[in-house]
Amino acid sequence: MKKVSYQLIEHTADIGIRVKSFSLAGLFKKAGLAIAGLSLESHNHIYPGKHKIVIRQKAANLEELFVNWLNELLSVSAVESLAFENIQINQVNENYVDAVATGSDIRNYKINTEIKAATYHQLKVKKTGLIWQAEVIFDV
Amino acid sequence: MYENKMPDNIPLEKIDDYRWRIPRSYKPGMRVPGLIYADEKLLKDIYQDRALEQVANVAFLPGIVNNSLAMPDIHWGYGFPIGGVAATDIEEGGVISPGGVGFDINCGVRLLKTSLEYDDVKGRIRDLIYRLFSEVPSGVGSEGDIRVSPKEEKEILLRGSRWAVEKGFGTEDDLDCTEENGAMQGADPEAVSERALQRGKTQSGTLGSGNHFLEVQVIDQLYDREACDTMGLDLGQVMVEIHSGSRGLGYQVCEDYSRSMVGSLAKYNINVPDRQLACAPVASNEGRAYLSAMKCAANYAWCNRQCLMHLTRQVFEKIFGSPWQKLGMSLIYDVAHNIAKIEEHKVGGKEKNLCVHRKGATRAFGPGHPDLPEKYRKIGQPVIIPGDMGRNSYLLVGTEKAMQETFGSACHGAGRLKSRTAATRSIKPDILLKELESKGIIVKASGRNTLVEEAPSAYKDVNDVVDVVHNAGISRRVCRMRPLGVVKG
Repeated sequence: MKKVSYQLIEHTADIGIRVKSFSLAGLFKKAGLAIAGLSLESHNHIYPGKHKIVIRQKAANLEELFVNWLNELLSVSAVESLAFENIQINQVNENYVDAVATGSDIRNYKINTEIKAATYHQLKVKKTGLIWQAEVIFDV
Repeated sequence: MYENKMPDNIPLEKIDDYRWRIPRSYKPGMRVPGLIYADEKLLKDIYQDRALEQVANVAFLPGIVNNSLAMPDIHWGYGFPIGGVAATDIEEGGVISPGGVGFDINCGVRLLKTSLEYDDVKGRIRDLIYRLFSEVPSGVGSEGDIRVSPKEEKEILLRGSRWAVEKGFGTEDDLDCTEENGAMQGADPEAVSERALQRGKTQSGTLGSGNHFLEVQVIDQLYDREACDTMGLDLGQVMVEIHSGSRGLGYQVCEDYSRSMVGSLAKYNINVPDRQLACAPVASNEGRAYLSAMKCAANYAWCNRQCLMHLTRQVFEKIFGSPWQKLGMSLIYDVAHNIAKIEEHKVGGKEKNLCVHRKGATRAFGPGHPDLPEKYRKIGQPVIIPGDMGRNSYLLVGTEKAMQETFGSACHGAGRLKSRTAATRSIKPDILLKELESKGIIVKASGRNTLVEEAPSAYKDVNDVVDVVHNAGISRRVCRMRPLGVVKG
């Protein structure tokens, strides 16, 4: 699994993260991969095969797009029983993201924490100077 | 890592030893005051996070009546605080908010009694817990043996626990002792997305993970002899408590409708300080569609807990070599604690049709309420309050005062004190297991993370929380249990 860096945000009931990147595409990729970092631990890779899933989302604004993106990854991961190990962002702007998420069988991993969904609570996606930064709270 | 604490300027007015008010003047836009049930000890914990700010935010909801309420187990959630109750007047444009129910729709708890006594089980707790762990599917994304066709899944969404009972996974008595008899009327599977159905199809009869659990307990304190006699409970009696919800199906329903209701804010000119409070009038197309889908998820959760109870009864039969009926394994009650319900309550002396959101709060209807089973109508609705895995759980009953003050609601648990990350940093799983074993508590958990995240020190003391609801008069203590063994998801 591709490792990404993120900071944890203290929250009583749930888990929050802060991610930073020089590009919006990098921000979406990092946040998407942070889900796996938060919840999965490498176990025994006995189930072969890589699966590529196209993820396309749109929204009225960037923050809502960011939450929709993360929730789509969580939802597809649950339905397809996949752990997403890498993400390629083909296109992202304020209202639209087009990406390919590559994953392997979830049974290759030990699941430490179930992430139910990304929330809008205290959601921030903004660019300061050259740096894109996002903060999001997940319901766990 | 950074701290995220309550702003120092939030004003609290003391009403009495157990009630505190956030005045409307705290934030322009609050339609009603906040009302917090807590004593000074719990209030110190409550001030450690942003839950009170969330109580004030909920007061912005259109149509909210009386107060934005917080129970003593209140802690910081997303949108609503966990431990929050809010009722909106449907005729006055009152709204329904998926965030006021949460992702785990109809997360709830059921309590069943047994005719076994502590001496009957004390040498077999480990066998019992390990068998329960192996036969009741638990853990993240766990899948059960109860596989259903798409048609049957829709039947579950419509009929809830009754579907399970008709499959042979329980009895009519179980339905009588379940809130809403295990199925809310008005569920519409057409309001549930294909994705949600896909997420639900293999998860019936699974415990899930996080704070969900299956616990074997013993009654160690009686408070109300009449209520205990009505429910057939006595000191030393072995009980079983099951905590679970609607699993992936519920998460997806909440996500689908949270997403669409963010768009409703502009459409209905609704101003709320947090998008996770996104909502729509109950009487709007959006509100009705969410309510229909939420009922489906709620029914799925009741069916799930019914199936979990069935699996539990089967394990007891194997361990104790007797049919569950002979082991006296009757359901005391099953309550939801993440739900929105349309209920009649008096507001300003008039009967009103309200949408009552209980986000981490338990219905606690008082004596005489027509929605209660006949056998409990005299004593009030059983209110089941689980604590952490090292201390106690409680059985209480609802009161008339709860009907007057809290729309018939009470707390739902101990309430988190420490974040999961803080718990993981400070608690070692092996040491925790040994500490619990030294207290006679056997724990089997799917993951070491879950174990430490759910450690007793991560929670408030449920005894303090229950003291407040009892002393404030919004529920009455019946008996207390202590854990003997716990299966954690």
